[in-house]
Amino acid sequence: MSATSETRNREVRSFRTRLFAAIMVIVATLTALGFYLAQRKITADAERNLQQTFQTEISSMHKLEELRHAALADRCKTLAAKPRIHAAIEDDAIDLLYPSAKEELRDLMEGDEPPPEQAARSLHARFYRFLDSTGGVIKPPNASDVGELDAHTEAQLSLSKLPDTQQIGYVQSGGTIHEVIAVPIFSTDTGDLVSALVVGFKPFEPEDKHTGMQSGIWVNGNLHLPAFPLSVRTSLNEKITRALNDSVSDQNYFRVDLAGAPQLLFYKLLNPASSFPPAYEICVHPVATWTAQLNRLRWQIGGAGALLLLGGFFASHLVAVRMSAPLKKLALDSEESRAERERAEAALATTAEELERSTRYSADASHQLKSPLTVLRIGLESLLEREGFKREIYEELSTLLHQTRRLTGVIEDLLLLSRMDAGHLQIASTRVNLSQLVDEWLDDLGALPDSPDVKIEREFPPDLFVAGEKRYMSLIIQNLLENARKYNRLGGRIRVSALGNGSRVVLKIGNTGPTIPPGENIFERFHHSSSPSAASGHGIGLNLARELARLHGGNLRLVYSENDWTEFEVRFSTANGVSAVA
Amino acid sequence: MRLLELLWLNALFCVIPGSLFAGAAVEGRVELPKSRSAPVQAKRYEIVTKAGVLSTQPPLAVVYLTGNFSRPASFPLKEVAQRDLTFIPALLPIEAGTRVQFPNLDDTYHNIFSYSPAKRFDLGRYRPEERPIPSVVFDKPGLVTLRCDIHEHMRGLILVLSTPYFVMTDTAGRFRLDMLPSGHYTLKAWVDSRTTREKPVDLREGQTLHVDLP
Repeated sequence: MSATSETRNREVRSFRTRLFAAIMVIVATLTALGFYLAQRKITADAERNLQQTFQTEISSMHKLEELRHAALADRCKTLAAKPRIHAAIEDDAIDLLYPSAKEELRDLMEGDEPPPEQAARSLHARFYRFLDSTGGVIKPPNASDVGELDAHTEAQLSLSKLPDTQQIGYVQSGGTIHEVIAVPIFSTDTGDLVSALVVGFKPFEPEDKHTGMQSGIWVNGNLHLPAFPLSVRTSLNEKITRALNDSVSDQNYFRVDLAGAPQLLFYKLLNPASSFPPAYEICVHPVATWTAQLNRLRWQIGGAGALLLLGGFFASHLVAVRMSAPLKKLALDSEESRAERERAEAALATTAEELERSTRYSADASHQLKSPLTVLRIGLESLLEREGFKREIYEELSTLLHQTRRLTGVIEDLLLLSRMDAGHLQIASTRVNLSQLVDEWLDDLGALPDSPDVKIEREFPPDLFVAGEKRYMSLIIQNLLENARKYNRLGGRIRVSALGNGSRVVLKIGNTGPTIPPGENIFERFHHSSSPSAASGHGIGLNLARELARLHGGNLRLVYSENDWTEFEVRFSTANGVSAVA
Repeated sequence: MRLLELLWLNALFCVIPGSLFAGAAVEGRVELPKSRSAPVQAKRYEIVTKAGVLSTQPPLAVVYLTGNFSRPASFPLKEVAQRDLTFIPALLPIEAGTRVQFPNLDDTYHNIFSYSPAKRFDLGRYRPEERPIPSVVFDKPGLVTLRCDIHEHMRGLILVLSTPYFVMTDTAGRFRLDMLPSGHYTLKAWVDSRTTREKPVDLREGQTLHVDLP
């Protein structure tokens, strides 16, 4: 007992461990999944945020440009309407062009550059130039009035032809970058394009929102990003130039490493479809800020995961213990039930053995008995055929012969029963005419020598077919009819009725006479009636008949035994799909 | 007294034909560009610009004789008025050295100026009652475009010539130049700011030459 309980404990412990491990695996998986998803989300969010910042900046840049455009367009319209400007351009008095325009553009050039935060509200130009009809720059007579530029920068203002719409460009001179806007000047007389005004501004500088973002402009293979030292700028310029060469898109972003620090670099074309060389806004965001954020989040998630694991540890422990408690009980219960079952099995085995032995014994005994009985019967018959004995002797011999025959019947019944018990009896089912079989037996019943004066009632249709083996069915009917006759009273009656009822045929055999006391098991083998009666059988007939009826898929039962009437009922299967045997 | 008057008249008639028919004459026709609009009834001409070319509308031409002519001691005073926000006349041919005055006949300010290479000037703003009437001496031959700084659409032309012999055609392009000196000269016709036609002419005393400038 102690060994089994130890095994049981071990099993329960192993179950608890497995349960615990499973819970821990689930918790760990969930933590890892949460970690992975959170990390992915934060990376995507960070990139999106940076992109939004970049886009916001670009859009404020565009707003400023639009403002400048509107102001300049207005200015150019006024300029173009000026007779002096017309006169200067049309009457070949170019030297008078700048002096004529000076008054009109005075406010652009006066004063100092506004601080970046006011750039959007004031229109301060660094320089302006007019273009002649071929797109070349018209040299100003006095450069100090229109913003001095070196020859290289001034050359960058030229266009291959006069633009008919506003053009934006970026030119670099030394360490400075200028945003230039070229506005066409149309003659108010003829509508012809006569000149263009190119005005240079300080490019939009985004306010530093403490994002660590650095922005600049890339134009013509040069990167203007003063926040970085030259070496970094050079390597960055190479990367940008390569990216721009490879890309077909006007805007994109990629990762770069600047002096070991990862950065996210955004770029966007600032002047699509411009006559000036393409210029790109460049924004470099250090990834460090959101890397730190990511690390913080990692710690948070890691901590939460650890807590979850710890919680899971206790919870799973608790759960494992609580779940293994009924298991323990179950194990105990199953232990008991197993012992019980083993006992029952042993008993069953013994019973089966005994049954088998008794069956074999019964079969053996029957066989052993049959031969001497036959000898006895033949001897008695030959004695009865002799002559010369006294009449009493003949009567005695006749009784003996009758008893012998009876004994033969009992032995045959027993033999049949023992075969059934051993499971050796096979039914060769055929189509049997029940009506005919009952009729034959009723006729035989009337012809019997010791039949009492009983009235026979037949209530069944002709040709009622059932499925079964004729000789065993015959045996059932014979048994029942013999009983009905045997346990009848003088002047009594026997009623045989049969009725087909779907898949069933119900045969009822009733008789007058003494009733069977309730609670008496008349179907028991070797049963003997508790009430003394003149007639009595050997006590296996009903048992045999019921076994045979069951073997045919039907049943035999006592349905009524009261008030001078006893009725048995046998159920057979109707003979559908069974070949007929006449 | 009456006799004296008659004598004077007689003498005058004797002189006028002599002076009238003295010298050579040229007449003919200048082929003018097609007018783009119906002729203006009020005989007002305006200066139009087309592809940088200035011309009168309806088209007119100035025919003049070039050569070495002696410069007269004095020049008549000429006038380009501003009336109804236009220059009248729109095209004025003058000999170099002529003074042109620009009376303002409108009720508003004008500011006549020119950036033309032949004459740059700026009269500044002035009112109709401005006295003396602002004037400019045009001493260099060439085409002067007149503009008003206040009224941007106003255009006028002064064709400054180095010859005293010039005349404007009628709208059909017909012209006649009288009292020309004999000799070998070039007859020119200014049609617009880009187009000047010319033909050599041999002028003889008392002859009228017929020259067409197609």
